[in-house]
Amino acid sequence: MAVSNGLPSSEPPLVNQAEQLDQQERQKYVKGKKLGSGQYADVFSAHLVSDPSKLVAIKKIKVGPEVAEWGISHDSLREIKFLQELSHPNIIRLHSVFSTKSQNLNLVLEHLPQGDLLKLIQDVENIHYGPSDIKAWMAMLSRAVWFCHENFVLHRDIKPNNLLIAANGEIKLADFGLARSFADPYAHMTYNTITKWYRPPELYYQASFYSGAVDVWSVGCVFAELVQRKVFLPAMPDTDINMIGIISSTIGTPTEDNWPGVSKLRGYVPVEKKDVTPVKRKDQWEAEFRAVGPVGADLLMKMFALDPRKRLTARQILEHEWWTTDPKPSRLEDLPRKGGGLETMGEDLKRRGGELPSLGRGDKVARKLDFSTMK
Amino acid sequence: MTTYLTEDDIYRTSTQYRLWSFTPESLAALREQTHAAAIERAKKYLGHGNGTTGHSDGANGNCEGDGTVADCLTAEEELRLVQRYADQIRTTSDFFKWPVNVKATAVQYLHRFYLSNSTLTYPPRETYKCALFLASKTEGVHMTLSEYARRISTDAQLILAPEYKIIQALRFTLDVRQPFRGLKGALMELLNIAAGRGAVPQHSRTGKTGAELQTLMAELPGVADGDRSTWAAPAGAAAADPRVLADRAHVAYGVARQILDAPALLTDVYFLFTPPQIYFGALMLADSVLAGFYLSTKLALESPVRGKVLATIGACRDMLGAWSPQGVMSKEERAGLEARLERCRDPTTRDLVGAMAAEKRGGGDEGALDDGVAKRRKLEREKSMKEGEDLFGPSLPTVGNAA
Repeated sequence: MAVSNGLPSSEPPLVNQAEQLDQQERQKYVKGKKLGSGQYADVFSAHLVSDPSKLVAIKKIKVGPEVAEWGISHDSLREIKFLQELSHPNIIRLHSVFSTKSQNLNLVLEHLPQGDLLKLIQDVENIHYGPSDIKAWMAMLSRAVWFCHENFVLHRDIKPNNLLIAANGEIKLADFGLARSFADPYAHMTYNTITKWYRPPELYYQASFYSGAVDVWSVGCVFAELVQRKVFLPAMPDTDINMIGIISSTIGTPTEDNWPGVSKLRGYVPVEKKDVTPVKRKDQWEAEFRAVGPVGADLLMKMFALDPRKRLTARQILEHEWWTTDPKPSRLEDLPRKGGGLETMGEDLKRRGGELPSLGRGDKVARKLDFSTMK
Repeated sequence: MTTYLTEDDIYRTSTQYRLWSFTPESLAALREQTHAAAIERAKKYLGHGNGTTGHSDGANGNCEGDGTVADCLTAEEELRLVQRYADQIRTTSDFFKWPVNVKATAVQYLHRFYLSNSTLTYPPRETYKCALFLASKTEGVHMTLSEYARRISTDAQLILAPEYKIIQALRFTLDVRQPFRGLKGALMELLNIAAGRGAVPQHSRTGKTGAELQTLMAELPGVADGDRSTWAAPAGAAAADPRVLADRAHVAYGVARQILDAPALLTDVYFLFTPPQIYFGALMLADSVLAGFYLSTKLALESPVRGKVLATIGACRDMLGAWSPQGVMSKEERAGLEARLERCRDPTTRDLVGAMAAEKRGGGDEGALDDGVAKRRKLEREKSMKEGEDLFGPSLPTVGNAA
């Protein structure tokens, strides 16, 4: 390597190749409008210097109060670690990372201008979609989750507002701030993870050993929400006990019969016989989710198996016959769009894992408390 | 139409393959380049060469000034010093009783860091604690900086100071692929073979049944001369006794596991080989007969790539086998090197804590901030910190490693 001796003495010379590469990366982009600003990150629109038509989003991670206690936060490190490795059409692409001299990390992410799935679900007035569209979106989500699991990554925060929509209509799984690798056998994991309404019963029962089944439950929640256009398991307030309550009343009460061993879990709360809700039967699922037909309802039901060992795996989801049953999934170009979603991307990316989008109620404190316990 | 990704294809998408895999030549060239650049810099700040008159930069102030270019570490010495600190990371990680993946990741961070940085610029004594702390975070151990600092009796700010330099040198790639699970998988499969459950015929790559594989395993000759496994068939026991076969697998695993801990972390094998090649190399060193048999259940004898695979595993085994604990630098040698390093190190990186604080205050390439902005930021930081504490109360000590 040629060592540059001609640098002006007032500026410290770049010491090495890593610093040069970092600087080159930084100089590739022109930062534009701020799309969103949160406690955790600011998100900017940006484009390539060499080609202004090539758009990206830059997520600049803020140096928060936790830095003194942790250095670079776990959330940022996890997101960078996993996104650097996962390359899949339905997972948000991390083009590169660079630092600025004030020691901020900047994540250069794929530009996803069509908002997120939550915006589509909630806009009941203007956005109309049908079973073919749901099938197309679910297929993309399922592939993304399968790919994560195939690479031994648990996402642990699947929910509609973490599913961003690309210009061509593709769904992209985003926000890997709570992700982790599959643990080795006998290695404990935290049960305090996944946004509450999308969190499976085993985590409320404080299971320390779990698997991809936790993500599958969340996928089921997204599926049901797409069909019903409302949150499937919305306990208010979302305390653990309320969440166990709504899961029991909606899907069935976990018992030793339907989930052998459940009573051994640390956080298990015994339920009196008279209070046990039987597990929702197939015909009930079919009646409630008529829109996706009996085959679709079958898939949904199997994603909601209370016993995580009986829940479908991501691979089994992809092998389910619903995908090949009529109607065919919509083509990308036929999927409904909302438009004006860049700000949504800003909103989504600035959030920290485990946070719910603002519901307009004074829920700020609740959200703060929620993520403060996240690991 | 449909294309399937093989495991190899997926591995090739990893950052470990794309950025951190080398041939022996390219690895040596990269280190040589980094060393040469550091020496060129040293010639300037030590006041020799290039016709410059030493460091007229009073700004740096604390340069010792008594070093000469002759004091500079050689490339070989630099590498040995880094390896010494890789060993130090192992000891420190074991002190915390952290799982092996933390240790392996931290050691690779250190090795990767010194591919683009010289010890003359950043002495490893000042970086290794940060590399381990960073690895503890990326591998999901939740120990706070203050507890980490307290337990290794180091100032927290000193630990954290090089963090950005490290992840920058890591090119912001944090995943380290490791051979430990693969080795565990080999043990499990061998135990299944020993028990006669080695292969369900339709899934078998060898076309052999479980019973046939068990018989083949029982007929294997003993541990070869020079292999490190201490297993010997117990006198009087039937060779085909499944417990005897299982015992052989356990002993080979234990020896290989030790090899993955020391030589594998203290040599360049992670840069030169893939995780499966590394664990096969370790298994070959432990019990080549058993490892060869195990490989044959995966890769047919007539496979066209067999020769190449064996040669690669053999090269890895040789590299692992050539390592010896006596090769690790002694305390005295380290002290000598570091005394020299102190005289010839780069003065501009001496005060990392100060440099980090200065950068945080917002200098650098974003344009120096005036005092007003800096003050406002400070107030914002304090406010945000205070709000955090009001809401949550002061942070609690973290219990356990669950993540």
